[in-house]
Amino acid sequence: MSIQNLNTFDPFADAIKGSEEGVQDGFVHIRIQQRNGRKTLTTVQGLSSEYDLKKIVRACKKEFACNGTVVEHPEYGEVLQLQGDQRENICQWLTKTGLAKPDQLKVHGF
Amino acid sequence: MDPSTELGIDPSLKKKKKKKIDIDSMLSGGGGGGSQSASGEGVERSVSFLEPEEAQSKQEGGQSELLESLESFGLKKKKKTKKPTSAAEVDEPLIVVIPEENEDSEIGLDFGVKKKKKNKVLIGDDEDQQIVEDAPDMVINSDDEQSSEGLPTIRTVTSEKSWLTSDRDYTYEELLTRVFEIMHAKNPEMASGTKQKFVMRPPQVLRVGTKKTSFVNFMEICKMLHRHQKHLLDFLLSELGTSGSIDGNNQLIIKGKFQQKQIENVLRRYIKEYVTCHTCRSPNTILQKDSRIFFLQCEACGSRCSVASIKHGFQAVTSKRAAIRAKAT
Repeated sequence: MSIQNLNTFDPFADAIKGSEEGVQDGFVHIRIQQRNGRKTLTTVQGLSSEYDLKKIVRACKKEFACNGTVVEHPEYGEVLQLQGDQRENICQWLTKTGLAKPDQLKVHGF
Repeated sequence: MDPSTELGIDPSLKKKKKKKIDIDSMLSGGGGGGSQSASGEGVERSVSFLEPEEAQSKQEGGQSELLESLESFGLKKKKKTKKPTSAAEVDEPLIVVIPEENEDSEIGLDFGVKKKKKNKVLIGDDEDQQIVEDAPDMVINSDDEQSSEGLPTIRTVTSEKSWLTSDRDYTYEELLTRVFEIMHAKNPEMASGTKQKFVMRPPQVLRVGTKKTSFVNFMEICKMLHRHQKHLLDFLLSELGTSGSIDGNNQLIIKGKFQQKQIENVLRRYIKEYVTCHTCRSPNTILQKDSRIFFLQCEACGSRCSVASIKHGFQAVTSKRAAIRAKAT
């Protein structure tokens, strides 16, 4: 049993933690778009440009067994496109690999 | 020493049960609304977080009296701090309810976290504590229906009397019952279960042809939420990633196939972000635009905070590229 007041407190704990965080900054927007019929498209916007998106998409395609590309957009930078409704999959995968934290993910759509 | 402490322990366990039952019965008596269950969770959590110390006192009971006295002080302090928190928790959900959103108020969560931390500091090995913690919970849940009728009332009566006559220290249970009595006295609405509830009419969604969806009572919902239809329209279309427009009968025609459930989800997100106050969760708010930024002004608590602007974000090409090219030329 210890008394809380007598514990040592590290005032720089937060700062150290901050530097350890990944390069991912800002939200990752995961959207879904309907195509013709029952087909859908998942887009992942806002992944840090420090990541190699081509490698990410290659891994995703293999993991989710779907096709996908990287689209260059003048405003939003490189955007991931995956075929089908991969919102759940991509959320889990991004957190599992540590590319983004769960609170950075923002899932849109129905 | 040992037998006396053991005797001290057993009643504490029983007390725990009774406390839980009190809360449960209170909640069930108060009528089970969505947010009320959330607030109830908050209360229950704070109670369950208090438990480990008692459990710990049980484990370390044989060590020294000093420890026990320290812990009892800790408990008392908790109680004092708990009063305002529980009152706050009671106050908030009374004003606001969003249908089917069982999220705790942030205040409640904060307190929970703090308490958890304190406990962890106090407790040596967490895993054992967890087991100790869990076991009584299970028992309590199973016992709820059987023992909730007679015993608690007797307990409260005896405890009150004993507490008035003698000048000994208050026990945990006495203070807890007192807190709830005060809560009930000051908030009669909670006891009677008449809460101001924020009820939404479900969106009526119909399929128009094969490719379009009609949102029939779109205008009605806009009026209920006191929001401009343009704002809600913008949000819906950007979230769904489609296009759409309002037709002659004030229906919203959305391109794509959508079900009522899906639209409901999006509406719920809209209400959470743009209708309910972020501080007190009251739906009684006004959305104002100040220099390109939307502000949410709460009528109930007077707080004012900015809300996220609606962004369409990246839109992939889903139609035929040839058709787009033909249109452009």
